[in-house]
Amino acid sequence: MNSRTGIHPRSVIHVDLDAFFASVEELLDPSIAGLPIIVGGDPAERGVVASASYAARAYGVHSAMPMAQALRLCPHAVVRHGHREAYASYSQRVMAILAEYTPLLEQVSIDEAFLDVTGCEQLFGPPAEIARRIQQRILSELGLPSSLGVASNKLVAKVASTLAKPRGLLVVPSGEEAAFLAPLPIERLWGVGKVTAERLHSLGVQTIGQLAALPEQQMKAIFGSAAAEMHRRALGIDDSPVGVEMRRKSISQEHTFPRDVADIRTLQRYLLEMSEELAGQLRKEGECARTVVLKMRYPDFKTITRRVTLAQPTDLTEEIYAQATALLQREWKKGMQVRLIGLGVTGLGQARQLALFEASMPRLAKLSRAVDEIRSKYGERAIRRASLLKHDDE
Amino acid sequence: MKVSCLQENLAKGLAIASRAVATRSTLPVLSNILMATDEGRLKLSATNLEIGINCWIGAKVEEDGAITVPARLLTDFVNSLPPERIDMQLVTRTQTLSLKCANYEANIKGIDAQEFPLIVALSEDTGISLEPPILREMINQVSFAAALDESRPVLTGVLAELSGTRLTMAAADGFRLSVRYTELADPVPEPASVIIPARALQEVARISADEENPIRMIIAPHRSQVFFRMTNIDLVSQLVEGNFPDYKQIVPKSYITRTIVDTAEFLKAVKIASFFARDAANIIRLRIAPGEAGLGGQMTVMATSVELGDNLTELDAAVEGEPIEIAFNAKYLNEVLSVITKPQVALETSAPSSPGVIRPVGDETFVHVVMPMHIAR
Repeated sequence: MNSRTGIHPRSVIHVDLDAFFASVEELLDPSIAGLPIIVGGDPAERGVVASASYAARAYGVHSAMPMAQALRLCPHAVVRHGHREAYASYSQRVMAILAEYTPLLEQVSIDEAFLDVTGCEQLFGPPAEIARRIQQRILSELGLPSSLGVASNKLVAKVASTLAKPRGLLVVPSGEEAAFLAPLPIERLWGVGKVTAERLHSLGVQTIGQLAALPEQQMKAIFGSAAAEMHRRALGIDDSPVGVEMRRKSISQEHTFPRDVADIRTLQRYLLEMSEELAGQLRKEGECARTVVLKMRYPDFKTITRRVTLAQPTDLTEEIYAQATALLQREWKKGMQVRLIGLGVTGLGQARQLALFEASMPRLAKLSRAVDEIRSKYGERAIRRASLLKHDDE
Repeated sequence: MKVSCLQENLAKGLAIASRAVATRSTLPVLSNILMATDEGRLKLSATNLEIGINCWIGAKVEEDGAITVPARLLTDFVNSLPPERIDMQLVTRTQTLSLKCANYEANIKGIDAQEFPLIVALSEDTGISLEPPILREMINQVSFAAALDESRPVLTGVLAELSGTRLTMAAADGFRLSVRYTELADPVPEPASVIIPARALQEVARISADEENPIRMIIAPHRSQVFFRMTNIDLVSQLVEGNFPDYKQIVPKSYITRTIVDTAEFLKAVKIASFFARDAANIIRLRIAPGEAGLGGQMTVMATSVELGDNLTELDAAVEGEPIEIAFNAKYLNEVLSVITKPQVALETSAPSSPGVIRPVGDETFVHVVMPMHIAR
């Protein structure tokens, strides 16, 4: 791959469906088409906005905003709590269209994908033409609006599709990546989060162009070991291939409580449930995790994470839970209230050092695998921990 | 106290004694070295309450006395001095040791010797007698397998068993086990089985480097201590309380495949593979294939990193039994192969998830058991 020198520039298309859930809701109920639509959880239960139609966005509503706040901004909005199956089925049909153009297809999420159409000109015409046709087909065959970015790599294609929204198409010619990014605010760049952005602002860095011009030493001070990569990104250089599934580095779960929880046993029950889920996912992928991460958010929105690294990687509910609950107990103080609890595992790998003495572990491992088999045959709820049964009644 | 000695002798003595100085202690006197005149010699002592070392050096004593001074400062100062005579005098009133050597002078503030914990020295010559090179080799072959993490204290120690005319040492960290024995010239006075901190044994191996005479090892179970007596050095260590796992149970009695390779070649292949393995959970895979009629067998040493690339070394091997592919932690293979002195080594295996046994060919006294890594597919 040599996208940098431009000898063999790639053609990458990023497809992003516009306000996907809200658009599907319009298809399911044409009477609400064009109205402000918000898809999300129950405001009384601290639900958040999953998707908002452009009519709703005009009122300042955006995804991940608390529902209660969204409804204050747009009180007459049509609220839908979501039709997961319909979203999944529309998503599949979109991906099926994309797959007709290239096998180098990487689905990033339910409503987003990258396509590498390098060398497809003979078949389908130039990349911009392919993008236009894809956009047209998704709209005419499925009724869904989308925005597309075309560039020589994923990084720039993604930025382009975001800028094109809604219903837009933006092509960044090869060789103009840096110039295209230069005037954009730094928040647009992958890897620049809120904290980093604030830090850069305080240094007078507002645009990606200014970031690209920072001296190496200053980049190192801000980004540490990622400095060189961030410099490349700021110049619009990205060699990451399309279609290669990135190995995940961590998995996590979290739960926001309808009401703040002041009872450690309730938190522990959620941790056990999440441990069960995470361990099941690990075993499904044949992976073990090395580090357990506990996340808690307090009523004042202060969020903490605490982590512990195991001597040996694990894929067992019991071990993950033991670490999680130990972390919780260390943080727990009388009178404490918790708004959100999350649990994650990182340091995933496919190998595990076997032990000389611990004869009890293989038994537990065998048991876990037997439970996995029952669940895959008869469903997730076919066999459950007794301590989690009570949870359902609440 | 008024005493003089040669800089080289003092520097050497301090290097030995300071191995036992406490590095992180709430008791200030434990970061000091005790200097005391002792029957015409100078005794240097240090202890961290787990290990204690006494070391005697030749000196000219004009006036008896004792003082403790900060180990680090004294050692750094003495090490920087020219190889000449050092004159030392204690100013009792201020508990300050003044040192003079050529054109260098120092006054080092100390703590009263009375405050230093007593390091018991055994006077009687009981126990067993060990040749220094053999003791050092035993320690090298066993102590690396002891656990570093303190979650199971007995595993941080080395089991020392005395029975009949045999001393056996064993250590295990939960993933591997190293066992080595030696035959003694005389039967042991009484059978014993104690756990010695691995660090104490490693210090014995280190400070006995110049020792030429046999080392006496004396177990005092009623005091829960073990003594190592050398010509001019005594080391005493607390024993680890508890029961060591039954290691004899862990050594497999049989195997399905036995593979003999050149020790140095195997070690080299492992070292090269570990460059690739360090990015991939340290996994080294061994593919073992028997040849025709016991000839032309092969062991392939492999490591693969998804991000960085892969590596493969093929070794000639005498393979007896079935072909097998088995994975081990690179570090574990590296460490055990590094302590084997015989030119050939045998690896005995039964299944990819069963323990591997490593033995030097032609040497019954050492055996190492290492658990493989399980690779999900």
